[in-house]
Amino acid sequence: MASITMRDTFFNKLYEIAKNDRNVIIISADMGAPSLDKFRRDLPFQFINVGIAEQNMVAVATGLALTGKNVYTYAIMPFASLRCYEFIKVNFSLMNVGVTTIGVGSGFGYPDSGPTHHSTEDISALRALPNMTILNSSSNLMVEKFAGISYNMSTPCYIRLDRGLLPEIYDKNENFSNGLAKLKTGKDLYIIATGNMVDQAFKVVKKLSEHSINAGIIDLYRIKPINTKLLIRYIKNERRIVTLEEHFLAGGMGSAVVENLIDNGISIPIKRIGVPDKYYYAYGNRDDINLECGLDTKTVAETILKWVKKI
Amino acid sequence: MLKDFRKLEDKTHYICNQVLDMCIKAGTGHVTSSLSCAEVLVVLYYGGILNYDASNPEWCDRDRFVLSKGQASPILYTILADVGFFPKTKLAKFGQANGAVGVHMQCDVAGVEITAGSLGHGLGIGAGMALAARMDRKHYVTFVLLGDGECHEGSIWESAMFAGHHQLNNLITIVDRNWLCATDFTENCVRLNPMDEKWKAFGFEVVSINGHSFQEIFSALDGFRSRRLHKPLMIIANTVKGKGISFMENQPLWHSVAPKGKDAKRAKIELSKRGE
Repeated sequence: MASITMRDTFFNKLYEIAKNDRNVIIISADMGAPSLDKFRRDLPFQFINVGIAEQNMVAVATGLALTGKNVYTYAIMPFASLRCYEFIKVNFSLMNVGVTTIGVGSGFGYPDSGPTHHSTEDISALRALPNMTILNSSSNLMVEKFAGISYNMSTPCYIRLDRGLLPEIYDKNENFSNGLAKLKTGKDLYIIATGNMVDQAFKVVKKLSEHSINAGIIDLYRIKPINTKLLIRYIKNERRIVTLEEHFLAGGMGSAVVENLIDNGISIPIKRIGVPDKYYYAYGNRDDINLECGLDTKTVAETILKWVKKI
Repeated sequence: MLKDFRKLEDKTHYICNQVLDMCIKAGTGHVTSSLSCAEVLVVLYYGGILNYDASNPEWCDRDRFVLSKGQASPILYTILADVGFFPKTKLAKFGQANGAVGVHMQCDVAGVEITAGSLGHGLGIGAGMALAARMDRKHYVTFVLLGDGECHEGSIWESAMFAGHHQLNNLITIVDRNWLCATDFTENCVRLNPMDEKWKAFGFEVVSINGHSFQEIFSALDGFRSRRLHKPLMIIANTVKGKGISFMENQPLWHSVAPKGKDAKRAKIELSKRGE
């Protein structure tokens, strides 16, 4: 299990970059992090807290970026992405301004805070924006690399950071340039998962093996643009595909996969698994909420088994 | 640079008539929103206020002019073409199929800083530009032109707080106070007054002027490059929407409408006398 959060991993790496480049600026909508305390202390002119004002955060970031700054905006995920959505559309996407949006708390990452703080629509919304790159994190090594990848981008980028501590599933040599990774080969079906659900996919695969189902796992960490060529190469000869995400099904990662495959003439039975089309006033820990919405290991495995029997 | 007010009046006359002709031809465009801010824009671009190089639109030390009320695109496009950012022939297809310029501002046109049309964006962007200048110890000045109806947007006040807090005295904001939003007078819709007190409370130095008076516009901008007060400057330019065309002045129904037929002929006759 990771010893520090994705957020601190990301900002620690960005701190190293920013020490050598004074054009790197972080704008926070009143969100802190232990790793950001270093920014405030050592690089005070590269850290701006705009207060709880996400629209202005995007606008100020745009003004800074248009004058040559390499800007990162940062807030809890639904506020970083949706509260200021139209600003992101016009300023980042339409003007193609290379600001990186950092959202913390994918899916039910704030399980004690209720649905205002859940982020189960942002992929659908941001995916609709031209020029936008969407990166969804499933590992701390990945997050560290995302800091470097986003630093070198000149187009808008949205990075989803999980709030929980996830086990490391990659080795240090992975450069995360492909947009997706086959983490386990399978024979009967492949689970394409994203974010924290990649870890869940490993548990589900284990459960499925008890029922003689040999499932593989693909981590789709770049949801836009999807590396369609590689995705098709990985799955074109497979028998079944399951997509798994802690996000609404409407327009989410699973939808993106389906759209890509259909548009490329690939016809494989696909089952999308994600958050049902409702909000959950559920509290406790993340597992409790996932249990309630059918994303716990047992229910996901059962859902897949039922579906496999039907087709 | 034109310091002679008579020449500035002539230029305003020329620009306004070009705007009207362009919008009549296109059958669209915000004529009235353009006419209310004509003198302000003429002073900025022809009165020696803005530093720009039309042959090098991306010049890094240029002053930034952010037209936040992007519906006034006809007048800014006309001026940018007139001062040489792009050929005037581009204006001939304003708002038409295969045209390169349209009803709202787009950032891919030379001399245009931001895409605008969706309101409430420009002040925060301008504040970011002004902050960047301070960070980089650059001496360019950032100007933002807001509509008064635009001040109904909550984001304007987020940005106002930010600019005031950061004491961005290299940020000059002008409100085109024509007292109208799209469908009604601002004070009937949601009251904006006391506008000067609002901006003062947000940390701005505020000057209220007649936005059609060259003398008052220049006075408000006096010494703007070396402001000692550690506050952004707000110039409330009181104007008349549709200035120079009597039947369009102060008429909500003429928002975003180009006159047609007899109205167009009458508008052209009246506007040709603007400033006389």
